[in-house]
Amino acid sequence: MSPIVVCVAGVSKSFRVLHDDRPFTLQEVFQRGRRGSRARETRTALDSVSFEVSRGEALGIVGANGAGKSTLLRMIGGLGRPDDGSIEVQGRVGCLLDLGTGFHPELTGRENVYINGVVSGLTYREVRQRFDSIVDFSELEPFIDNPIRTYSSGMQMRLAFAVAAHIDPEVLLIDEVLSVGDAAFQRKCLMRLKRFKTRGCTTIVVSHATNLVRDLCDTALWLDRGSTRALGPSESVTKAYEAAMAAPPAQST
Amino acid sequence: MSTVPTKPRGVEWRYLRDVLRVLVARDMMLRYKRSVLGLLWTLVNPLSQLLVLHFVFSRLLAVKVEDFLVFLFIGIISWNWFHGALLQATVTVVENRELIRRPGFPSAILPAVTIASHLVHFLLTLPILLALLLWQGLPLGASLIALPAVILIQFGLTLGLSYFVATFHVLFRDTQYLLGIALMLGFYLTPIFYSLDAIPEGARQYYSLNPMAHLIGSYRAIFIAGSPPSLQSLLVLGAVSTTLGIAGFALFRANSHRFAEEL
Repeated sequence: MSPIVVCVAGVSKSFRVLHDDRPFTLQEVFQRGRRGSRARETRTALDSVSFEVSRGEALGIVGANGAGKSTLLRMIGGLGRPDDGSIEVQGRVGCLLDLGTGFHPELTGRENVYINGVVSGLTYREVRQRFDSIVDFSELEPFIDNPIRTYSSGMQMRLAFAVAAHIDPEVLLIDEVLSVGDAAFQRKCLMRLKRFKTRGCTTIVVSHATNLVRDLCDTALWLDRGSTRALGPSESVTKAYEAAMAAPPAQST
Repeated sequence: MSTVPTKPRGVEWRYLRDVLRVLVARDMMLRYKRSVLGLLWTLVNPLSQLLVLHFVFSRLLAVKVEDFLVFLFIGIISWNWFHGALLQATVTVVENRELIRRPGFPSAILPAVTIASHLVHFLLTLPILLALLLWQGLPLGASLIALPAVILIQFGLTLGLSYFVATFHVLFRDTQYLLGIALMLGFYLTPIFYSLDAIPEGARQYYSLNPMAHLIGSYRAIFIAGSPPSLQSLLVLGAVSTTLGIAGFALFRANSHRFAEEL
């Protein structure tokens, strides 16, 4: 058995509904008065979710919008603390989250690759050594000295993936970004992810593309409004998920 | 209980240096991208302030200070560094949402990036100061070796304060406006266009509580009087900056897990 790299144990998280707990601006303080509405409305984003991912394994997380997938992925990346339970991650974390690429529109592709590479965890020298390979992978060589604002969103995502593919993460977190880019590039990304896997990189993917999850992942987690609906082999979990999605929206209360 | 993932890179000083380097470079590139004068704006700004303030205080109000031109310019550039860096450091966490939400990113470096970027602008105005000194016939003395120490202390002081205001601003978005007012008043309450000698005896003790007054005094000692700044005040300032820095950093660190959620 490979060692366990990501261990999520009984993780719960709820969010305050915005603006009810703590005033954000002076104006709000005054408008509310001293006692005001302090009602603590909370929404449960995750409810005691547990799973483990071993070294070199890939886990796919599926579920409807708002099921807590991204919240879970971010907490694995160390962004935000669970209210309850624990998350342990071993090794360097690389990520492609859904928040955009972090590129600055006014700067050129080249400048952005350097900035992005360093803030993702490489030293300047490491970026320089890998620069040609990054550009090569992205297939954007003719545009690399143009400002990012002239790139299409697909091109930006390709460049972002190319950088992420070169930081040698031990744990890679991917949030629904592979759906951008054309089919050929998606295939290339998938190949890259599989190569990472064989080299022992642990991958966690959030995706609505169930065929990608089946193709890449060994196990899958189906989240339904914050709770674990199913956890098991990706084949059966994604099939069940697809079936539930295809069915008319049942009142499953 | 939760365990934050290990951040093997975040603690390596060589890596931190590289993060500082690319982010300061990014600041510099972005600031004057697509502007005609580019980096020259860095010089136009303090020079225009110098012209106006010199006209008002030397011609209209007849402030009696020797070497007033150089005296004023030193006040302007060191205050501008402090003012610009602190104000921008306040919003740096909020404005770099994408970086803050990146796993393993050493977010505590952001205020330092801002202050370093403004330090570059400060350093770029030093040649103008040297030109003014030459023009006014003021010699540069051996006291110049104390300059790096004074710059370092101003850096530390600004950084310490930055950690406080940057943390407050994430949780309370009025911080930048309150700070803007405080800094505007600070400009008048700091001996920038007047000298400490002009302050009535009774009020002088309050002025001695203003660290920027001491710092500007130190720069003036170096460049105008040609004498090393008071070692005692530098030591006190250094101690104050270090304490502020440690306390501010601790506050920033203790709250940094909330940043990703609040943004």
